[in-house]
Amino acid sequence: MASSAPPPALTLPPSQFARLQPHAYLLAHLSPPAASNQPSLRANGRQPAQFRPTSANTGSLTHTNGSAVVRVGDTTAVCGVRAELLPTSDIASWSVSHASSGAKHRQNTTKNDADADADESQIQDLNLLVPNLSLSTGCAPGFVPGAPPSALAQSLSHQILGLLHSTRLVRAEDLRVWYQVPSFGGDGDMDVDADDEGQKKKNDGKEIKAFWVLYIDIMIISLAGNAFDAAWAAVLAALRDTRLPRAWWDADNEMVVCSETVAEATRLSLRGLPIASSFCVFEADAAAGWRAVIVPDAEEEKKIEEDQRRGMQRRWILADPDGYEEGLSQERVCLVVDREMGKTVIVKMEKNGGWAVDGRELKQLVDIAAERWESLKLILEQC
Amino acid sequence: MTDRRRINGPPSGTRPAVFASSLKSASGAATERPRRHRQPNELRKIFLKTGLIPSASGSAYLEYEPSASLAAARSSPQSLIPPSSALKLACTVHGPKPLPRSATFSPNLVLTTHVKYAPFAARQRKGHIRDASERDLGVHLETALRGVIVAERWPKSGLDITITILEAEDDRWWGDAPDSHDAPWGMMNVLAGCITAASAAIADARIDCLDLVAGGVAAIVSDDAAAEEGNSSTPKLMLDTDPAEHKSILSACVVAYMPARDEITEIWLKGDHSKASLGVDDSSLGHEALIDGAVNAARGAHTVLVEAVRESAERYAGLSNSDS
Amino acid sequence: MVAPSATLSVLNRADGSASYQCSSTGSNILGSVNAPVELPGRRDALKPEDATIEVFVKPGTAPAGVGERYVEGILKTLLGRVILGREKGYPRRGVVITLAIIGGESVGRGDPYLILLPALLHTALLALLSASVPLSMTFSATVLAVDESGQIRREPSAEDAATAQSVHVLAFSSKGHLLLNESQGSFDFDTWEKVRQRASAICHGTQLVSADGDVAMAEDVDGRPLEGTLRETVEDQVYRDYNWKINAA
Repeated sequence: MASSAPPPALTLPPSQFARLQPHAYLLAHLSPPAASNQPSLRANGRQPAQFRPTSANTGSLTHTNGSAVVRVGDTTAVCGVRAELLPTSDIASWSVSHASSGAKHRQNTTKNDADADADESQIQDLNLLVPNLSLSTGCAPGFVPGAPPSALAQSLSHQILGLLHSTRLVRAEDLRVWYQVPSFGGDGDMDVDADDEGQKKKNDGKEIKAFWVLYIDIMIISLAGNAFDAAWAAVLAALRDTRLPRAWWDADNEMVVCSETVAEATRLSLRGLPIASSFCVFEADAAAGWRAVIVPDAEEEKKIEEDQRRGMQRRWILADPDGYEEGLSQERVCLVVDREMGKTVIVKMEKNGGWAVDGRELKQLVDIAAERWESLKLILEQC
Repeated sequence: MTDRRRINGPPSGTRPAVFASSLKSASGAATERPRRHRQPNELRKIFLKTGLIPSASGSAYLEYEPSASLAAARSSPQSLIPPSSALKLACTVHGPKPLPRSATFSPNLVLTTHVKYAPFAARQRKGHIRDASERDLGVHLETALRGVIVAERWPKSGLDITITILEAEDDRWWGDAPDSHDAPWGMMNVLAGCITAASAAIADARIDCLDLVAGGVAAIVSDDAAAEEGNSSTPKLMLDTDPAEHKSILSACVVAYMPARDEITEIWLKGDHSKASLGVDDSSLGHEALIDGAVNAARGAHTVLVEAVRESAERYAGLSNSDS
Repeated sequence: MVAPSATLSVLNRADGSASYQCSSTGSNILGSVNAPVELPGRRDALKPEDATIEVFVKPGTAPAGVGERYVEGILKTLLGRVILGREKGYPRRGVVITLAIIGGESVGRGDPYLILLPALLHTALLALLSASVPLSMTFSATVLAVDESGQIRREPSAEDAATAQSVHVLAFSSKGHLLLNESQGSFDFDTWEKVRQRASAICHGTQLVSADGDVAMAEDVDGRPLEGTLRETVEDQVYRDYNWKINAA
């Protein structure tokens, strides 16, 4: 602001105005007066469909099997994956469930798909993936450190777990520790083992002795909106970085031991690369209906669309909202997409909190999410 | 033990991986104990940066330079067991802000400190709920900072300092038996880092302080090499010890020190230094020497701190210029 | 398709309540609404010009966990747009909605509650109506599963949902907007559009005019539109409640 402005009483620096009149501030940025010839930009200087600069860095934490730091603008998520072992002897229902699934295993060896399905459910049934997100790191003023996880942290953890399950990102096979029962001992040896485990054994003598359990902990170090995208990207990058040591059943010590040699450790082979993009809808007239919200019906809605085409925009769909924009909008869209052979596959599509986004808008958003997938893929592959 | 507010693992619990090499080697593992390549009075480099967390009134990120062995293990990984670790922590300051309605009147700024390890910060997985050592660190940190802040400038206000430790220091070398010399030596290094980072974050939040307080650690260790050769081990004073690099730490000390006023706001001395003071050639290796060593280490950290705070001040000056 | 059955005002002490029988999952959902109420001890958190909405979901068998927090979030966001929290008497007060799931299978760890979501939404809506909370519109919701062959299945059971390629929950307002969409699984956009069309038909009975101008009628497949069922439940209740007045007139 120029220092020559005559009445100093009413000049507010932009940062103060933004705090006092947030809605008007963002609206003024998005719909500049036609005479000013300024482009419609968000208060943070981005185009409506522009994401914040994103960077990722993996493997910097010493005590993890895989780790990643992802920064999306000012939101920073640190994810560490720790693998621990769950011996099958510790699983209460193992002998029962394994005997039955083992039988299925053998029957269905020709039908690969059904077989995979039955076995993949082990991840879910045995709780092999344990993601937890923490916001009580002083990441934003609202979260009291040391308090139990807020409703937001809990639902983010849940969303991540749900997405890990529904995308079947981690293969159950990667998490199994097999043991080839030596066959030279003949029947006697077999019987002892069978008694120990309390289960019937098949003749090929391969059995699961333990599972790896992946503890996926996400610390949001800095929160400036859109925690889900950053957290999910961090989870993805950390899982891509994860190396599990070679593990085998040591019959002498009756425990699973691991090799510390890096060369023998294996990386997880993940299914696909689902990437999340979130959006929010900013409405020009949100504050106008002070008392009664007047809801246009679907027909009037069409008129609004017409208006939009003529340049009288009343609502904006903002990609990757920051904390300021999130506070000003109610409607959210979250898309998780993957691309296989040039085709976009939607893995998760959520929209809630309003009526501005319908089929047409979602179709555009899917395209934007697909573009985001390309750019984030490059970032994740380079780290 | 199910926590309804978190996602729980298998109900029967899980076990950390056991490595074959650690199982066999009662005598000595295939890998060697990492060696200290620094001079006794040489500190590790500290990376300290302020203002990385814009939503907080002040913030700092601190990272220690990885020791030579860790750096080697990073660049050409051989073993999945890291030889040692390097401290990494983030500190945020929120406030000064009004105290909650329920709080009683306070003429001073009420300081709350909170230190939490990330679950993946240490060799053993940490729980989600603060344990005794984390609360202990919080109390130590509060004592260190309370003497520095000019608290009467903000009556009826609160200041929250939160530290998240992403990677902690080891308490001993991983190959050593847990009982050989059991004391949380790593915690002292963590505390020193917390003090330095919190000091930077407080300055970044523009809270009035008497001085920039810095944390430093010194320890008296009995020299490994000498002991192996059969000589009587001569205890030595080392600054900024990495516990993984020493077989036995006799005693250690961490101080929070204000150089300009030559004052110590917090001191934590631990271990048995009676043996050390009976050293053959030098009788002055008592607690005095230890404290002096820690103060020297703090002076070293202070130079880094000054640099980081200057950077923060310049950033702030730049911001206010562009605003007006 | 068995139409859902619901009863209003089943609880005496609550301001409003509803009991809803969900035929596909076999669960019964009991909802209660208290509004407007003073929320003690949270004066700092209350919005000065809007009502604070709180939703609690109680599963039948286990204590509420992380998954319930997530569903509560979904319900809260949706209802926040439907409830007129700025009406007289509501600002700085609370609308407390409690939904208890009785019977049926318990929801597994990490499951997103999708198949129960429409029932929860309907119960919340009926309970709100029963409590005479001012609403800007009503809504109806449904859940659809798409299997590997691309067949769309309405209101799948838990096993069907587990084997399906994708599961979708859609909610439409009484004015025809898409209020809520929760889809998961793997699918492409064309599949979703088909799902949307079918869901809209289920909720509203097709008035949807397709691109070439003919009106596709799909009621015979899906029975009566959901919205009508819900409306009738409320009308019946109103008739019973005001019986004395209607008869007197």
